[in-house]
Amino acid sequence: MQLETPDDTPAPPQSALRERLGTAALALLLVPGAAAAADSGAKTQIDYTTLLYGEQGRAQVVEPILRATRLFSDGQLLSLQLGFDSITGASPSGALPSGRVQTQTSPSGHVTTVPAGEIPTTSFVDRRTGLDGEWQKPFGQRFTSTIGVHASTEKDYDSLGVNGKLSVDLMQHLFTVTVGAGYSDDSVSPVGGTPAGLSDGTVVTHGANAKRVSSALLGVSRVLSRRWLVGVDVTRFEENGYLTEPYKVLSLVDQVTGSPLDQVTDKRPSTRSRTSVLFSSVYHLTDDVVYGTYRYYTDSWKVRSNTLDFSYRHDLDENRYFEPHVRLYKQTAADFFTVGLVVGQPLPEFATSDYRLGPLTTFTLGATYAFHFDPVPGQLKLRVDYIRQQGDGSPANAVGVQRNFDLAPTVNTVSAVVGYSFKF
Amino acid sequence: MASPCTVLVDGDDPEEAMALVEIAAEEAWRIERKFSRYRSDNPIYEINHAAGRPVEVDAETAQLIAYATTCWELSDGLFDITSGALRRIWTFDGGTKVPTRQAIDECLPLVGWERVSWVDSTLTMPAKMEIDLGGIGKEYAVDRTAGLIAAQTACSCLVNFGGDLYAGAVRRGARTWTTGIDDPDRTGHAALYRLEIARAGLATSGDARRFVTWRGRRLGHILNPKTGWPVEDAPRSVTVVAPTCLEAGTLSTLATLQGAGARAFLEQQGVAHWIV
Repeated sequence: MQLETPDDTPAPPQSALRERLGTAALALLLVPGAAAAADSGAKTQIDYTTLLYGEQGRAQVVEPILRATRLFSDGQLLSLQLGFDSITGASPSGALPSGRVQTQTSPSGHVTTVPAGEIPTTSFVDRRTGLDGEWQKPFGQRFTSTIGVHASTEKDYDSLGVNGKLSVDLMQHLFTVTVGAGYSDDSVSPVGGTPAGLSDGTVVTHGANAKRVSSALLGVSRVLSRRWLVGVDVTRFEENGYLTEPYKVLSLVDQVTGSPLDQVTDKRPSTRSRTSVLFSSVYHLTDDVVYGTYRYYTDSWKVRSNTLDFSYRHDLDENRYFEPHVRLYKQTAADFFTVGLVVGQPLPEFATSDYRLGPLTTFTLGATYAFHFDPVPGQLKLRVDYIRQQGDGSPANAVGVQRNFDLAPTVNTVSAVVGYSFKF
Repeated sequence: MASPCTVLVDGDDPEEAMALVEIAAEEAWRIERKFSRYRSDNPIYEINHAAGRPVEVDAETAQLIAYATTCWELSDGLFDITSGALRRIWTFDGGTKVPTRQAIDECLPLVGWERVSWVDSTLTMPAKMEIDLGGIGKEYAVDRTAGLIAAQTACSCLVNFGGDLYAGAVRRGARTWTTGIDDPDRTGHAALYRLEIARAGLATSGDARRFVTWRGRRLGHILNPKTGWPVEDAPRSVTVVAPTCLEAGTLSTLATLQGAGARAFLEQQGVAHWIV
């Protein structure tokens, strides 16, 4: 190869340096194209995690998850995940405490007694098995498509869903737009049949109730600088079908004394539109990384929530990092939420006393510690979170004796995640 | 590559031209994916996160590292792919902030190819050190893309990745490819020189916007890995024409590392060059 210039000046003699450089360049450029293209790219990663979650005096969850991800050299990615959930313990039934000992019957017919002044709970045991798959494929340099499927089954709930996503990279990969949609076809088959809503629960229908969830996603992310990435995601869910909690009840209390006299089943609307907007930011400091997100959520049941989440990753060395994490969550109650109903007054169209639809403030403080030690391959990860959940213990519409009770005692929860992942 | 990439095809068939552009884009992204230090799925990540363990690399990565080793030897240690650690403490944003002597002294032990063992495609590097092939990756991508395209077509093509380019054979009508050298202060707007080239690589080293002012002196972004300090009196822009883009890029970088001696260095190499 010779430099050709129009005026055909003869090339000056080459220096020794140029000769060595030329030889080195030739050696590099002569690596066969095929060998060059044969990336060391194909990789498999195995992740195993176990979540242990324990509410003080309430539910305990154990959830082992196994995930295998295969990354192909052409950028395709295939992953499969198998998970089991085991939930045991007690959950508030929705009924109010009483000044006297109460008795209650569980869905399976067990009769239990509740001490005076305590929030009645229902014991439950449930096991869920879930299988998820995802296939990601790049098209050309700009487009990436993702298709996912999921299936899960438990005693009274089955779910089958698909979802898809398409991302477009613009402005030299500095700006990414993602659109997606999903659909899930679920069925709810309460143990002992489905009780009629706002009834005494004795009239039940047998068989499965349908629940369908469709979702749409629009997201943009933008690289602002080499260090800073920001994004906004808007997600909309449309749910319809059986959205009631079949095992939850509401107390009917005496309008003067506030004593629970009877109870009725929970009843919720059969449609729910949910919208969330998530703002996220990832900022790389010299070594550390700061993650921050803010989420605003609103739905047609008038639940509104704000979530702030921060974490800070600090690499202790090549093999270890420490990531403290703090989260603040605050939600308003659904418009049909009430702590209880009053005997003798007409029943509303919908009502629930499920604390998850009531006013709620959750504070989470936790940390992740990940490490690797030679010669064991892979990375071990430990995450511990302390979660403090508070509702409104003295609502304005509490009657009589109910004013003496804390109707939403603070729930303290500790959750731990142990994970191990390795690549080969 | 974080810079505009173009392929000019001297031909009449738009379909063929599109196919060639497709090949170029695919190769550019392949090299970007494989050698970018901002990804976690490539050999560079593996090397930089090995924490002192030996890493065996594939043939292509091995050849690139071998080339970088030759450059290090030829430049007496000034061209060093481990000098990236210094870039964490220097910010060339036109301001006046320079790192403290202590920060530089703490950083220097993480720099130096002599601390790395490189034997039979296996690299062993002390923990916390990093390699960055950014200094040769773009030029390598230009040459490799030009090679792939040349194997597919009889048309002459010009491959240009952000100003580093390779011009193919003489065009139809015995014409050459016309390129220009930008005024470093007005990149993309004002050409200082116009060059006619064919079957040659061209590369420019220097970025006029990346400097710091220290005690009234302008320090460019090219760092001396031995002192941890910018090369003083380096030209703002050095353009070299050589048989391949890779050689052109390396020679322009080596020249810049000579500081005030850049012109003498290039004259000694007997290579076509333009210094601003």
